[in-house]
Amino acid sequence: MASIKLEQLTKRFGKVVAVNNLNLEVKDGEFIALLGPSGCGKTTTLLMIAGIYRPTQGKIYFDDVLVNDVAPKDRYVGLVFQSYALYPHMKVYDNIAFPLKLAKVPRKEIDRKVYEVAKLTKIEELLDRMPGQLSGGQQQRVALCRALVKEPEILLLDEPLSNLDARLRIETRAEIKRLQRELGITTILVTHDQVEALTMSERVAVMHAGVLQQYGPPDELYDRPRNLFVASFIGDPPMNLIPVELERTDGRLRLVADSFVLPLAEEWENMLGQIPEASFTLGVRPEDVRISTEEKANALLGEVFLTEPLGGGTLVHFMFGEISFRVLASREIKMDVGDKFWLVPDQSKLHIFTKDGLSVREVGRRDAQ
Amino acid sequence: MFLLPGILLIFLFFLAPVVITAVMGFTNMDYRFQWNFVGFGNFFRMSDDFLVPKILVNTLVYTFGTLAIFNVTFGLILALLTTSISERVGLFFRALWLLPRFTPPVVYAAIWLWILSPTRNGLLNGLRVAMGLNPIAWISEYPWGVIIVTNGIIGASMGMLIFASAIKAIPRDYLWAARVDGASWFQEVRHIVLPLIRWPLMFITAYQTLSLLTSYEYILLITQGGPFHASEVWSLYAYNKAFSAYAGTYEFGYAAALATVLVLIGTVASIAYWKMFRFREMMAPPRIEVS
Amino acid sequence: MAQRKFTPGSLERERRKQRILRVSMYLFLIAASLPIVIGYLWLFVGAFTGNLVYGLVPQSFTVENWSFLWDPPSPAWPDIWRTFFNTFFLAAGVTLIMVVVSTSAAYVVSRMYFPGRSMILASTLILHAFPAITLLIALYYILRTLGLLDSLWGVILVRAGLMVPFGIWVMKGFFDDIPWDIEMSALIDGATRFQTFWKVMLPLVKPGIAAIAVFAFMAGWAEYIFLVTFVRDPNSWTLSSYINAIIGNYRFTNYGLLAAVSLFYMFPVLLFFLLTQKLLMKVTVGGIKGGR
Repeated sequence: MASIKLEQLTKRFGKVVAVNNLNLEVKDGEFIALLGPSGCGKTTTLLMIAGIYRPTQGKIYFDDVLVNDVAPKDRYVGLVFQSYALYPHMKVYDNIAFPLKLAKVPRKEIDRKVYEVAKLTKIEELLDRMPGQLSGGQQQRVALCRALVKEPEILLLDEPLSNLDARLRIETRAEIKRLQRELGITTILVTHDQVEALTMSERVAVMHAGVLQQYGPPDELYDRPRNLFVASFIGDPPMNLIPVELERTDGRLRLVADSFVLPLAEEWENMLGQIPEASFTLGVRPEDVRISTEEKANALLGEVFLTEPLGGGTLVHFMFGEISFRVLASREIKMDVGDKFWLVPDQSKLHIFTKDGLSVREVGRRDAQ
Repeated sequence: MFLLPGILLIFLFFLAPVVITAVMGFTNMDYRFQWNFVGFGNFFRMSDDFLVPKILVNTLVYTFGTLAIFNVTFGLILALLTTSISERVGLFFRALWLLPRFTPPVVYAAIWLWILSPTRNGLLNGLRVAMGLNPIAWISEYPWGVIIVTNGIIGASMGMLIFASAIKAIPRDYLWAARVDGASWFQEVRHIVLPLIRWPLMFITAYQTLSLLTSYEYILLITQGGPFHASEVWSLYAYNKAFSAYAGTYEFGYAAALATVLVLIGTVASIAYWKMFRFREMMAPPRIEVS
Repeated sequence: MAQRKFTPGSLERERRKQRILRVSMYLFLIAASLPIVIGYLWLFVGAFTGNLVYGLVPQSFTVENWSFLWDPPSPAWPDIWRTFFNTFFLAAGVTLIMVVVSTSAAYVVSRMYFPGRSMILASTLILHAFPAITLLIALYYILRTLGLLDSLWGVILVRAGLMVPFGIWVMKGFFDDIPWDIEMSALIDGATRFQTFWKVMLPLVKPGIAAIAVFAFMAGWAEYIFLVTFVRDPNSWTLSSYINAIIGNYRFTNYGLLAAVSLFYMFPVLLFFLLTQKLLMKVTVGGIKGGR
């Protein structure tokens, strides 16, 4: 297996910068995800790693060997496309055997390898069919087989689950993760679906407009988003993001927007004290707010505006003037429109971003370095 | 009401002519335009006509020669090449090859008459003279090469366009997948592109067979079927029998009989295409039922 | 699995191979296209030079070849401008009739139900592939009967009629692509079927109309075989007949005149072609595949 290192990787198409100065390391045998909205450059990155696209600038290393000038076929990568790209005129068997045929592997060897990999993904009985006769999930497995049959050093998956229905997607998620573990193959998954990225991979690289936003384990992205984009992109239901002004009254810090007034705990004093500006964006995850019928310290009084039952819990919308604030409440609490509750955000899980969109925690850490 | 003009035109210029051609084939009509029925006389005459076997061979060689060399093979090569190089240059070459198809036939013929001129003012002979060689009467020396090349250049553009659009419609994921798997350009073409465009390939083969079989405009203009019927094909023979100033006989009856053979082939072939290429799909019933 | 080494430099080899392949592709295309390029180049060079040495090298600049513009090369030939106008008249006539007839017919066939619909549809689709040129002799007889021989109207009607199945086919494709919802909502908004056609559908198929109009115009402008067969009267000549006469009279001599008149004839075609070649490619392909 191989490790991957991307150094200052940039790809331009004419004037459009698809990937901008990307630095990324993937350890040997690691499973990482490139996550971002469509057009963020994640697929372009994948295709550069596969050797289909040539980087405009920057370097790609496999196992510390510079592979910029290695042809796609000599990179030992397996690639699964979003569309699966199964050749419609070849039987499943021939589809899987195709890379080996091109590599002039002896027929017997091909036979052995195809059956081996088909067994691994449990599609032995499909080998005689045409791709058109398969269900989406089966096609997906065949595509995976075709990528794996070459015994690649690196497995690249481009939105492999997006054409499957919701149920199958959950099963396949686990299946791919199992295969990856068994084979210990270095894997990069490209996806726009945060759940996919967070559940499947060990580390996630969030990209936006060609720029890497944050790279870390799922928990880190969730708990300590480095910037506003990551904060808004990760999490479902999404984080409340409220433009606020920082005010100091009676020696205490408060974040104010319209009739939304949130007193801050002492711990924020240090971090916010260093920043000269007064405008921030407050981020609060709906699940990080407790709902209480009694008045509490550092709490706000809100009136229920709308409730959305989600099954497991209820998403409650509170309005503060023009500002809508969503809170995830457990089902036990009975609420009706117009009821008033005290909302107690968990102060240690607040996210405050500067005008530039950077997390205040990051600013503090950077200054400390 | 909307349909009437369409039906009228189609009736007048398609259906009526088919019937008239067939009926006229059983008369000995000449420049006096009298319907004297002679039964199968024209068809017996055809079997006795010493020229007919020659014309038949000419027609087959011309049709399938041009088809195989240009309309399919060369069209395919052009399509493959122009889709493999840069988009803009590819488009330029395709446009260049399409130009003859939209050039008035007389102008296209004029260009070839200059290139092939037997005098030293023509292009090829000009070059020969420059190399110290004697001029050649290209058209009468090589009538076959001439009609195949001149028709083929126009014929190739149809295949080129259809194949190119079929090739461009192949999802690029297929080609990328093949490239990651180590396929060279030739392997890509052989294992992926060709199998995926076999339907347009069949279509062009079938469609162009019919158009080559029945078209004679360019032959008429460039070789006039000569020398001594050497490049005369069936459709041109029928035309000459009816209208040629040299024959001067205006044998409409015999010409119609000759044309009937082609009309018959044309009718059968167009119905066959219609069945074969699933044109039925275009016939889904409308979904608004008021008028 | 044995550890494989990533060997740098293999791309260089691949790219060198690719470069060689690409260069040979270009060379092949250029070589194959040379006759076409030289041929059309000659139209320009030949039209403005007295004599070409070695067939290709221009000697002197002259406009003598263009004297046909004011002085017919033969007293029996008509005025070139009259001929030019005839050509335009023919092309415009074919375009107008073909567009109007096939657009209205295509709408009905695509969108309305009436007895015999599928038969009419099937026959137009079949006729689209039918080689109309084999009907020339019978068409001659019909025009003679109608008294339309030696008249441009005869050629216009024949050419338009023969192109109608093609037009219906292309336009039907365009009409078929308009969602039924649009037409249904127009009807619900109170439009009659005719208003729907005129105010809602026609604007939506404008690209299709443009496509078949360009096609019809080019075909009418270039018309040759029906013209020289049906029209002998010099007063009804078009530029095709004119050049045909030059080829007939001076078969292998006056190349300057031939090039000049050809260029004169080609000029609108070239202009049109440059402006609409992408459209033409689409319709050539689409017309074959069913207007999509």
